[in-house]
Amino acid sequence: MLWLFALAQALGQEPGSRRDVREFLGLGPAPDAAAAKKGDPLYGQNCSACHGVNARGAQGPSLVRSAVVLHDENDAEIGRVIRDGRPQGGMPAFPNLSKDDIHNLAQYLKLQIELAANRGTYNKTYGDLRNKVTGDAKKGEAFFAANCTQCHSATGDLAKIGAKFRQAAQLQSRFLWPAEKGPAQATVTTASGEMIRGTVRKMDDFEVSLTDSTGAYRWWPRDRVRVDTEDKLAGHRALLPKYSNADIHNLTAYLVTLR
Amino acid sequence: MKLAVLLFPGLLWGQWPTYNGDYTGRRFSDLDQINQSNIDLLKVEWIYRIQGIGAQRGVGAPTIKSTPLMVDGVLYFTIPDHVFAVNAHSGEQIWQYDYEDHGGHLVGQRGVGLYGNWLYFLTPDGWFISLNAKDGKERWRQKVADEKLQYFTTMAPLVVKNHVLVGVSGDAMDVRGYLEARDPETGNLQWKWWSEPERPGDAGAETWPNQAAMDHGGGMTWLTGTYDPELNLLYWGTGNANPVFAGQSRKGANLYTASIVALNADTGKLVWYFQASPHDTHDWDNVETPVLFDAVIDGNPRKLLAQGARAGWFFLLDRTNGTNLVSKPFSGTGNWAEGVDAKGQPIPDPEKEPKVDGSMIDMPAMGATNWPPPSYDPQTELFYLNGTEGYGMAYLYDTSPHPEGYGGGSGGIFDSRSALFAIDVRTGAIRWKHEHISGPGESGGMSGGVLTTAGHLLFTGDTGKLVAFDPASGKILWHQSMLSSVSNGPSTWMLDGKQYLTIGAGDTLYAFTLARLH
Repeated sequence: MLWLFALAQALGQEPGSRRDVREFLGLGPAPDAAAAKKGDPLYGQNCSACHGVNARGAQGPSLVRSAVVLHDENDAEIGRVIRDGRPQGGMPAFPNLSKDDIHNLAQYLKLQIELAANRGTYNKTYGDLRNKVTGDAKKGEAFFAANCTQCHSATGDLAKIGAKFRQAAQLQSRFLWPAEKGPAQATVTTASGEMIRGTVRKMDDFEVSLTDSTGAYRWWPRDRVRVDTEDKLAGHRALLPKYSNADIHNLTAYLVTLR
Repeated sequence: MKLAVLLFPGLLWGQWPTYNGDYTGRRFSDLDQINQSNIDLLKVEWIYRIQGIGAQRGVGAPTIKSTPLMVDGVLYFTIPDHVFAVNAHSGEQIWQYDYEDHGGHLVGQRGVGLYGNWLYFLTPDGWFISLNAKDGKERWRQKVADEKLQYFTTMAPLVVKNHVLVGVSGDAMDVRGYLEARDPETGNLQWKWWSEPERPGDAGAETWPNQAAMDHGGGMTWLTGTYDPELNLLYWGTGNANPVFAGQSRKGANLYTASIVALNADTGKLVWYFQASPHDTHDWDNVETPVLFDAVIDGNPRKLLAQGARAGWFFLLDRTNGTNLVSKPFSGTGNWAEGVDAKGQPIPDPEKEPKVDGSMIDMPAMGATNWPPPSYDPQTELFYLNGTEGYGMAYLYDTSPHPEGYGGGSGGIFDSRSALFAIDVRTGAIRWKHEHISGPGESGGMSGGVLTTAGHLLFTGDTGKLVAFDPASGKILWHQSMLSSVSNGPSTWMLDGKQYLTIGAGDTLYAFTLARLH
């Protein structure tokens, strides 16, 4: 069900911000990061032995998908369970934890929920991972020499390309399909043989309009003219069916070295 | 009369009493007043625009994704949190029901179900609400899903005998899918089918490593299914497994996620299943309509079920028992699979699963198709859907042994091409394909669902236009500019001797009729 964000990415936008995605998901108020930080060691000392790393469950239940935690709004329910325990379920009481401790623990749990459920946080959480390169730069260089140098040069247009992207994954997406948003050039050939070159304004099954070299607006029904658009991506399109995952990873490993 | 329509939806010609018009999901209408010889006379009869609602939380302007029901001259349709009743003759609003949600996703609302005088509506935060069709007054509400667990509800309830079928959505928080049958008079639960085995040892549990993995679940039942009254079987699609992109904690096929399931309508017991995307790690909800029709295959009349799956494959099954007759990719080469197993189910290639530094397949990241309704035309014996071709990447983020949430993401929709596909049901071969044309860098594509009619017409959206095609050849016969792209499944019905065509596009519902009948 990722389509909304996949679409945003397709349109060249960054994935939704943490706040936007939280609003879309209806996740409610953001966790208090400062309180969650204080709750972290408390969780480690008191809870993690049973509820597992990041509260994802061990012999005790997961607290990331706990209805008690998810429905709690003012620490009341979480506090009651912590102070009284759940003797029938084998959970001891923690009467010595203060009200502040309980609040901090509750915020720690809400943060674990946020980090799992709010995919708008992933880019930040996994930023380092998305910069990870596993390919073989030498093999990538050979692939580049065999497939890319007709149009590109490691010392020309792509010099320092490795420094231009924050994450290797972004560079990788870019070389796989460097589509530009925005106007393309096209040549329209009319029935009388007139050829008009210009910048495409609109083109679909029914009509084509463009701004010609004199700056004039021109329009034709699509079925009365021939339209040729330049395909700057032909080389990239031809490579898509040929790549193995290893080819892609190797090429990325090579391109990040161009700095 | 309304009750009769619902018990025998195929018999009373000319209305549109369920989400798909009838139980088969074919979205083929016997009406032929509007046909190839007079399509040039099609004109806007009326326009209804939703007003006064404004941007909806997290999604923006109101968008009609529901297919309106048309019964006894009244149209009933929805957007998230709102139901509208409109005079089908004129487009005049009769009533509007407004609901204030307390969470959940407003990504879509597919419409209402109708039983006698009662409407059934689902809210973003998991309330199942019955309204009086006469005036839109609420009769009762029942909670069917917990929005705090990231469940939400968007589907059009399906009424079958004295059951109202209610499915759920939600994969942000790794919960189990389920389908419920509820009592039309009280809303009380009649039966509940879980998308995963409940305990180790249950049938299907061998496709999961342990209880915790089954509890992470998935397999949401978020789109209206179909029904065969003779076999008394419901056919329902289930969504992706959870965690969505991180499969390491759920090794195995993960039944019954990303599947078509056949359930006994009175008991909810599983009769057969077919898994379209075993061990799904690409967010490929398999909820696309399981379309029912009969045809002669190799000289024998067969009861069939066809689906164009989000995983990019076309499937043809014998709907009595799930036997596979055709499995064939329609988008790309299906290179995420190594082939098919003895049941005709694709075998996922581990090399194509999401990786930390990305894994590419020859399908766009968001899948080959989605919820917009397909159509089967018995006159051409072709199956139609709007789909996408291209290449996409899948990334693994959460590499821990116990991932939670999506655990990864898709990135990139490379060399993406949107098209209307016409598929030969006997072979899965693409008979014709209409590729959307646009300038490089322009957005847009085929939009909304597909409707075919006995008038030898196929209606669907292409960017900002409503288009009529010749279903046999794919030739464009007629088009009309709209203020927004088609956003729902087109539908058609007959009222006072006139055939209407209804289209939702953004916040506006359009009705078309012929300018003159003779």
